[in-house]
Amino acid sequence: MKRSLVPYLIGLFPLAMMVVFFLAPLAFMIVVSFYERDPLGFYKVSFVWDNYAKFFSSFYYTISMRSLWSASLGALVVVLLAFPAMYIIVDMHRRWQLFWVILLLSLMCLSEVIIGFAWLILFSESSGIPKFLGWVGLWENPRSLSPSFGAMLIGFITLGFSLVALMFYPQMAQRDRSIEEAALTLGTPPARVFYKVVLPNFTPAIVSSVATMFVYFLGVFVMPTMLGRPQDWNMTVIITDKAVGDANMPLGAALSVIMLLFTLLIIGGLMLASRKREASS
Amino acid sequence: MSLRKTFTLVASCAALTGSGVFAEEITVSAWGGFFEETLKEVIYPGFTEETGITVRSIAQPADQAWLTQLTNAARAKKAPADLSLVADEVFVRGQSINLWANLNADNIPNTQTLLDGFTKTSDNGNLNAVGALSWFTTFVTNTDTVAEAPTSWADLWTRDWDGKLGLTSNANSGLMEATALTFFGSYDVMETREGLEKVIAKIAELKPQVQLWYRDEGQFQQSLEAGELVGGLYYHDVTMLSAMDGLPVVSTFPREGGILGDAYWIVPRDSKNIEAAEKFINYMIRPDVQAEMARNLGVAPVAKRDAMDLTDEEFASVGSSGTPIRSQTHIHLREGDWLSDKYLEMISQ
Repeated sequence: MKRSLVPYLIGLFPLAMMVVFFLAPLAFMIVVSFYERDPLGFYKVSFVWDNYAKFFSSFYYTISMRSLWSASLGALVVVLLAFPAMYIIVDMHRRWQLFWVILLLSLMCLSEVIIGFAWLILFSESSGIPKFLGWVGLWENPRSLSPSFGAMLIGFITLGFSLVALMFYPQMAQRDRSIEEAALTLGTPPARVFYKVVLPNFTPAIVSSVATMFVYFLGVFVMPTMLGRPQDWNMTVIITDKAVGDANMPLGAALSVIMLLFTLLIIGGLMLASRKREASS
Repeated sequence: MSLRKTFTLVASCAALTGSGVFAEEITVSAWGGFFEETLKEVIYPGFTEETGITVRSIAQPADQAWLTQLTNAARAKKAPADLSLVADEVFVRGQSINLWANLNADNIPNTQTLLDGFTKTSDNGNLNAVGALSWFTTFVTNTDTVAEAPTSWADLWTRDWDGKLGLTSNANSGLMEATALTFFGSYDVMETREGLEKVIAKIAELKPQVQLWYRDEGQFQQSLEAGELVGGLYYHDVTMLSAMDGLPVVSTFPREGGILGDAYWIVPRDSKNIEAAEKFINYMIRPDVQAEMARNLGVAPVAKRDAMDLTDEEFASVGSSGTPIRSQTHIHLREGDWLSDKYLEMISQ
């Protein structure tokens, strides 16, 4: 009798962690999203749909589409860059491999604000890349490169690059190279081997890292405010403005719940699609 | 054994909390950055010297964010600070939900030398806030890139700024009021939503000229001093002090007036040190301390002019003689959510 209880008790641990750190705050957020906004104070306990209704004004709708666009573009670009980079790194000499891994790890300990400020200086016309280009004569009238969508995207990539690269590292270093070697000895050009052998083997890993980065970039706050134009501000910025700036917790909570639903839909769709492809192939 | 340990623990805890109440220390919060640092270094030591009450100075975030924190803390019956510096609008919002403690006016006799209107009472006559300082928001420019200082708020629209202006991203910076006064003759246009939309549409014309819609004041100041931005809306006091440090910036009062804001000292309802806080307020509004604040912080005093020993030159440097532009707090309170949505929509589209 005692024995059969043990697995259940072990199973209780992750459940308790989920409840404490995720489900309870989430439940509270959902409850608050139905509260009534009190413009002078904080909120009144009640059950209203007003906060959700607000989302369907064109403004919030545009902002959410914008967040989805910048997060998905950022996720795609960062994976497109990190995947080949890691592919090259794992084939290096052990010492260089270690160097790159340590460098990538140390990149991860930089805070978003520090990275943002570093890019801000690099993009500024008085001290950064534009100044340099003007000095060597490549840019006649140098101007700041930020705030702009491109600057924000570069901020995204700096944030996510090391994360994605390190996600690929173990799997890529330990992959079975015999298939590639077979393809090569049979006369397939290296580029074709990469597309036809390596990439298909890593499709699930690529899909899941794109999904992870997508979710990560949806929640980024500093990069859009620091490096982006107001046209690039994402839902996270607006939610912060509403919840902290205007003390409108119910609206902030409702917008968060909607973004959560969007995210779940997209990731669910992505996972379903990749599973279907796997099943058919 | 364990009982004794527990006892010692309880005793030391009691001693700790006890020291918070009886050993005279108060926690004072002010807007973070240069402001809070200068108050801590220059103004507070004088108070400690006179009263023996030590001041623990903490930085507070921008108005509304701080109000949110105070409200949350009050729900848990806690006061993050014994005293806070708050703007007019925050004071009214907090008062409407009984966030502020009632002060005993007899303990703050220096209110006699205050300018009119700087003591705020609740509907049933309790003193809730006392004026702390006033500050101007003006038209600031970088002197390296803008040779000729602006003369009117209209210059924002008519001059070519090379797309390098910096404006705040929130609706209650005073820009709406300045726009109303400059282009629509008076604040009356702001009384209706149609009127507010007209004012916002006018500000939208500036969008091609604006490089930075700032929410972080530090970012604006740094960019202006470096010449990344050539001008914008910013605090008169900080700009003036930067200029005195030799940085290429200047603050100009346009002919329609600078934007004047008032700040008050409030005591959060759950503070345990109300008496010490009253002593603190009484010290901070004393004419000689008000004069010191004007000299060191560049803010406009709230004490009567003839009670202070400021020279004409010193007095003129922290303000202007013309009628100032006033934030239309009642409109921002009434239309708050609608207005902030409209404004955000305008700048982010």
